[in-house]
Amino acid sequence: MKRVVSVMALVALVALGVFSFSKVANAEEIKMVGVITKIDIAGKDAHSASITLKDNKTEQPVVIIVNDDLTLDKLKDHRIVEGDEIRLKYEVIDGKNVSKYFRKTAGC
Amino acid sequence: MNKRSLIIALSLVALAATVSAGEHPGRDFIEKNGYKGPATCEECHSGKAREFLSTVHWKHASKVTNVDGLDPDKEYGMKNRIYTMCNGNDIVNNLKEIPKSPETGKTKFVGCNTCHPGNHLSDVGSTGPEAENAIDCLVCHSADYDFRQRKPFKDEKGQVIMGQDRSTKAALAIGKPTAKNCMVCHETAGGGVLIKRGFAFSGEADVHAAKGMVCVDCHKAKNHKMPTGFDPNNWANDGLRLSCSDCHGDKPHKDADLNRHTARIACQTCHIPRTGGAIAKDFTRWEQGADKFYEPTTLKKEANETVPFYAWYNKTVANTPHLIGPKGDRKDKNSKIYPFKIFQGKAFFDKKTGELLSMDFAPPMATGDTLAGVASAAKTLGIKEYQPVPGWQTIFFGSNHLVTRTKALSCEKCHAPNGVLNFKALGYADKEIERLTNADVYFEKLVQKQKEEW
Repeated sequence: MKRVVSVMALVALVALGVFSFSKVANAEEIKMVGVITKIDIAGKDAHSASITLKDNKTEQPVVIIVNDDLTLDKLKDHRIVEGDEIRLKYEVIDGKNVSKYFRKTAGC
Repeated sequence: MNKRSLIIALSLVALAATVSAGEHPGRDFIEKNGYKGPATCEECHSGKAREFLSTVHWKHASKVTNVDGLDPDKEYGMKNRIYTMCNGNDIVNNLKEIPKSPETGKTKFVGCNTCHPGNHLSDVGSTGPEAENAIDCLVCHSADYDFRQRKPFKDEKGQVIMGQDRSTKAALAIGKPTAKNCMVCHETAGGGVLIKRGFAFSGEADVHAAKGMVCVDCHKAKNHKMPTGFDPNNWANDGLRLSCSDCHGDKPHKDADLNRHTARIACQTCHIPRTGGAIAKDFTRWEQGADKFYEPTTLKKEANETVPFYAWYNKTVANTPHLIGPKGDRKDKNSKIYPFKIFQGKAFFDKKTGELLSMDFAPPMATGDTLAGVASAAKTLGIKEYQPVPGWQTIFFGSNHLVTRTKALSCEKCHAPNGVLNFKALGYADKEIERLTNADVYFEKLVQKQKEEW
């Protein structure tokens, strides 16, 4: 009996591990390139911004949430503005597209 | 000291005491009088505008003494160099409005000198009072610069002007340049974010940034002249140099064995184990983007994604049409092993002379016609006859950022068969290699360390 319980516990652990792994795998990064059509950011102290981009491939609008300080700073001082083309990666977290990588495609 | 001098000195001490740490002493003056460009700065910082005009940041060039094939009496830099990371320079790619895209009818402003801290009317290397007044002091010194103002536009005469934020608000936020001030230009060099040098100056990527340091803590300017290292591809310099040992000394480790390495191994070799940015570009074939404009086809890597190439370097540079890279070897006591980012660029060479041809980006950006770009650049440079043939150039970029302590190369990374360093290519004999790639080199030491740690 003791052995059966141990085996069952082991199976449960493995199943939990596999399940957890699939959850991680589900939150995969989606890549896109698009042009910014709208920037919503609440002032200089904002900790988040909502950016609407037109996906170059689908031509559909995609709303991205930006949380990282470096990109927020570029939005606040207008180094990134509407009309800029952006190469980005995002993850869908709690139904929101959260930016993991947000770069202007253009350079000098 | 006479009475007058004493009063002035005491007044300055009193002023300093009333100004809180970090606050600019001229704040009241700027608030009261507004910001009128460099003239406002000159009220207290007399002579600084003229001083700045003699720096590489303004001239984009300097005399260069450590690169093969250059005239020691001429100045070289972004102003006039031709190499395949950019394939153009401030002369052939002077900031201008490019031809309209045949597909959209739209145009845009493009130029290598977009980052020049002037107003474009007073451009790279200009001198005199007009140039002094054109300096954009705030783009480097303000923490509250509005980059919507720093856009090129055409005035009523049709001249292309680079806008500046000269607001009092921006002027009230002045101070020592932050990393952001520097990275505004330096992170987008070479045609995009982290393309040219490929380093992110962030706490995750660099130990100095993690400690809250900024660029000018190491690149400590003297009279606006910036000290730089010896990147084989970064030729122009203000005559001031810096190295890791300026702060860390020649014996930076507690361990004497590690300190022995510093005689022939540059700090960067162990402490910058990865590099990043563009690894290759093709200027003979441009790709069309969503905006229907064209850009050179570029293979990019992130910061810390690329393994460096290791070579002996004595801080002198080989410079041929197909190679810009480090000189040095094991027998040369001035040489050390350094890490480099290898970049390869494809562009047009002149079959007649073998020289690399440069390209004006305006035509290919609008239509993708790269040979029209070569023709336009040749016209600007007065080259009448040439025969363009595609070819590759290899460039060694210095790898001097992305510094790590915790992920530095440890003994076994190099002292192993098929380790990080190619000892054979670095000039070591087979017997030496056998000894150097054996765990015997470090085994006892690391066993002892392991015991101490656990």
